[in-house]
Amino acid sequence: MDFSLFESVRWAITVLIEVMVLVLALRHRLFERLPFFTVYVCILVVNEGILWVTYSLTGISSHASFYVYWTMQAIQVSIRGIVVYEICREILSPYAGVWKLCRPLLIGLGLILAGSAVATARRRIHPISATTLMAERGLELMVVAILVLGLVFCRYYGVRIDRYLAWVALGLGFYSAVQVANDTFLSEWLTRARFPIWEDLRNASFNIATIFWLVALWKPLPARQPAPVLLAPGEYGRLAPQMTLRLRELNTRLLEIWK
Amino acid sequence: MTLFVATLVLLAILLALLWLLFGSPTNEAVLSLDARQIEKVLPVNCRHFPQISQLLSQDDNQFMRKRAPHDMESRWRAERRRILKQYLSGLRQDFTSLERLAHLIAVLSPEIAKRQEWEWLWLAAQFHFSYRMLALKLALGSLSPEGLAGLTQMIAGLTSELETRMALIAEHSPSRMRTDVGG
Repeated sequence: MDFSLFESVRWAITVLIEVMVLVLALRHRLFERLPFFTVYVCILVVNEGILWVTYSLTGISSHASFYVYWTMQAIQVSIRGIVVYEICREILSPYAGVWKLCRPLLIGLGLILAGSAVATARRRIHPISATTLMAERGLELMVVAILVLGLVFCRYYGVRIDRYLAWVALGLGFYSAVQVANDTFLSEWLTRARFPIWEDLRNASFNIATIFWLVALWKPLPARQPAPVLLAPGEYGRLAPQMTLRLRELNTRLLEIWK
Repeated sequence: MTLFVATLVLLAILLALLWLLFGSPTNEAVLSLDARQIEKVLPVNCRHFPQISQLLSQDDNQFMRKRAPHDMESRWRAERRRILKQYLSGLRQDFTSLERLAHLIAVLSPEIAKRQEWEWLWLAAQFHFSYRMLALKLALGSLSPEGLAGLTQMIAGLTSELETRMALIAEHSPSRMRTDVGG
């Protein structure tokens, strides 16, 4: 392989942290709550093995390495999209009404941004690296957007987020946000060799994200909260119009005073 | 330029994520309906309206204008404005409490109406904007006390209605609640 000693050490540390995250996830039975995230962590570890074999056999600068690397990236970013949806579902699904309102918005936003990423990437056929960067940026943007929208719902309705979920979400959001910025820089000045700092940023942000996941899983997961006691189906229909009427009157009056 | 904008956007996203994930939630109420918790979120400031009403009396206003020396009248007006400002801030707290209660009802309902939720969001945005404008008007000394009185009565009316409804739900109809969740 064409790695320097520093790069080899950094890679070894990355693999070590990923394995630790995977071991902790399995030990704390995370797959019962976040199955897709557990699968994602497994894929990360497998990915390192596949890349190591590919780089060893064909060299890091080969076409084969390029395609293997970006195929694995595409798989990972797609699963990250599913994982952020899974996190939103884990937090909001006990509140049936809010989840029914939020779910179509999350799915719709995800589909629009994924479609837009594909459409943007198809416009730039050459060079191939520019196409992959555009596609990756769009998909990472989708991950961040789904996460932020889901969290805005949690904040608006005052739904509490478990600590471990917050750290997992922070890791995903942080990495994807850095990649969006990173891909923007790279697609603007597409000469990676002249800007090695961006590749370092990619690696560093991934290491930081995995440390966030390590923090999330370091302690055993909290016990599941009992299901909230929901109101009878008709109560919302009875209470909401009264509140709306009053709030509307209140606003009208407030506007009158102001004017 | 691209570098600058992308860095700013990145920082904004990261700060937003930190705030959304770790910032203290605005709705401190525990997500269950029990009578004591409902008391915590119901408006309280608008109940002090009789005292404020006395303060806003037009008779006092005319008396001070006619009888009090100019500097005393100025001090009196400044003090009155300060109290009104505090009271307006209290009214905002009341509105926020009602908003939280509305969110609590939505969170604990198995079905909610999209249009209704959007309307509440829009109304809240309007209220908070109008409140800012009113606070500005008060600071400039051009807010009429009568207007404030009307606002207060309206919040008080809403409070009493909600209190009755929520107490009925929380205390007298436990059999109408259910413990299963959908999803």
